[in-house]
This record gives sequence, C-alpha cells and structure tokens, in this order.
Amino acid sequence: MKNLVVVIAFLMASTVSFAQGAFDKFEDKEGVASVIVNKKMFEMMSKVKVDAKDKEMQQYMNLLKKLDNLKVFTTSNAKLGADMKATVNSYLKSNPLEELMRVNGDGKNVKIYVKSGANENIVKELLMFVEGSNIKDAGTVVLSLTGNFSLDEISMLTEKMNLPGGDDLKKASKK
Amino acid sequence: MIIIYSCEDKPTLQKYYVKNTESPKFVALDLASSIIKTDKISLTETEKAALESFDKMNILAFRTDSTDITGYDKEIKEVKAILKDESYQQLMKAGSGNDGAAIYFVGNDDEHIEEFVVLAGKKENGFAVVRVLGNDMNPTHIMNMLSLLQKSQVDMEQLKPLQQLMK
Repeated sequence: MKNLVVVIAFLMASTVSFAQGAFDKFEDKEGVASVIVNKKMFEMMSKVKVDAKDKEMQQYMNLLKKLDNLKVFTTSNAKLGADMKATVNSYLKSNPLEELMRVNGDGKNVKIYVKSGANENIVKELLMFVEGSNIKDAGTVVLSLTGNFSLDEISMLTEKMNLPGGDDLKKASKK
Repeated sequence: MIIIYSCEDKPTLQKYYVKNTESPKFVALDLASSIIKTDKISLTETEKAALESFDKMNILAFRTDSTDITGYDKEIKEVKAILKDESYQQLMKAGSGNDGAAIYFVGNDDEHIEEFVVLAGKKENGFAVVRVLGNDMNPTHIMNMLSLLQKSQVDMEQLKPLQQLMK
C-alpha cells in the first residue's frame, strides 16, 4: 500500500515537472495563439492503417510514433513577446539544451536548441525561438517538440503541417 | 463512500447539456448515424465497421448575444473546467485566449474510444460542444468515417436546427 502511494506521488510529480511545463502559462492567454498536440494524438494518428504502398505516408506514420508533445505559441504583442523570451531564457538556464543554430537576418532572429538522445542524430527535445518583424501575423514564436526523432524527419513534418519556422528547420537539418 | 459521492457530485458534460438544452441562448441537436445516407452507395467491410462503431452525435451550441459579451467567457470557462477532468484526455488544441478549438477523447486507450469531444468557439459568434458517442471506436474507423462522409450524402433535414445559429 505504501509503495503504491509512493508510485502515484512519483507519477504525479513527474507529469507536473514535465519539461515543457514552463510554457504552459501561455496556453490560455489572451493575445497568444497556440497549437498543442499531445502524445495521445500522435499515437492515435500513427495507428491509422494506411496504404502500405504509399511510401511517403508510411514514413510520416513512422515519425508520428516517435513524437510526444508539440507546442507552438505565437504572439504579436510586444509585451507578451518579451515575456516569452524571458521564459525561454530562464528555461534554458534550468534545462541546458545545445544550440543547434542561430540565424540572423531577413528581419528575424531564429534560434534552435536541441537535447540529443542516444546519438547525435537523435533529438529528444527541440526548442525553437523566433522573433522579428518579418514573420506572418506574429512577432514572436516559441516552438517546443519532444519525443525521440531525427532532425531530417522533423523538417518533413514541419513542412507538412505548415508550421512557422519550417524553412529554418529544413536548413538546420541540411547542415 | 467518499469516492462514490465525489463522482456523483462533479459536473459532467451530460449535466451541462441537460442544464442548457432548454435555455434560449443554446441550440441543442442530436444526430443519429442515419444522417449519413448509405443506401445509394455500396459499403466496404471496413466502412461498415466504422459506421457501426459510430452511435450518435450531440451538439450544443451557444450563441453570443451582442448585448452581453461576458456570457461567452462565462459559459466556455464552465465547459473548459468540465473538460479538465482526467476522464477527458486532450488530443490537441489550437487557438488564442478563449477562442479556438480543442479535441478530447474518453476511453480506456486509443484503440477503444467511447466518446470524442470537440469544443470550438469564437467570441463574436459563440461556441459549440460536439460529442461523438460510439462503441469501441478506433483511429482507423475515424479515418474511414471521414472518407465515407465525403462520398455519401448527408441528411440535411437533421441539420435544420443549426440554421437558427446562422440567423
């Protein structure tokens, strides 16, 4: 019985302290547009039986299995944008991620951070922060994706889903 | 005993439906799976299975009153609070503030789904809570249902009450 309590407490604690939680405060904020896709959704989508001949679709389905959570927050409000930047910075302090690339120019500033998994090609967490005036409908974008995937695969997904920053991610994977 | 009591006491979507069905601010609509007219097309085995897993759909829509904008925030907050219960597992959501859409499901695991809940709204117009109730639905069924919807005719008669919303 005691063990059970400990296990339950541990499970609850681990969900609460879940890495992406740092950005949850932006979820229901007025002025912040968000897209959140949970692990269950990816799991469910990956279970749809698709035509085995469709190679691209198969590849896509395989990728979905490897994803956990996707969160994208965008805002055009300068104050909220500054808050996002501060949150990203403090998040990086407590969760050291490796800087994958940084692009300046074109009226925007893109930073991509990753946490590597078993080897260099495997990414456990990807965090992208974009700010600048040259982004459609938004001044600031934060994208966080967790799972167990490779960068090549992910650029394919951002392209399909038409997410902001997809182009930059593509460049990163081509390096 | 305490557990039983707390279960009975907590607000559920069902209770929210019952409470608001009669309210003039809401439009309620129940759709049976017969809304998809299948008599003119031949169904494959997989499509039949998909159709059988699907039971009915309940729609509850709230119309924003132009003279009372606070109503929207109040009502959608109530729905969101109900959906925070752990029996509703969030699949995805998109939007900004209290505008936007979210999808939830109820079921033991993602191969045996009892219910889908879709919440979509916009402050200026109102919001709708759609419950898709079924029996052992699974992801493949959903995809087959969607393709079935595209090629079959939808019984517009059943959708009539929704026209009130457009007025």
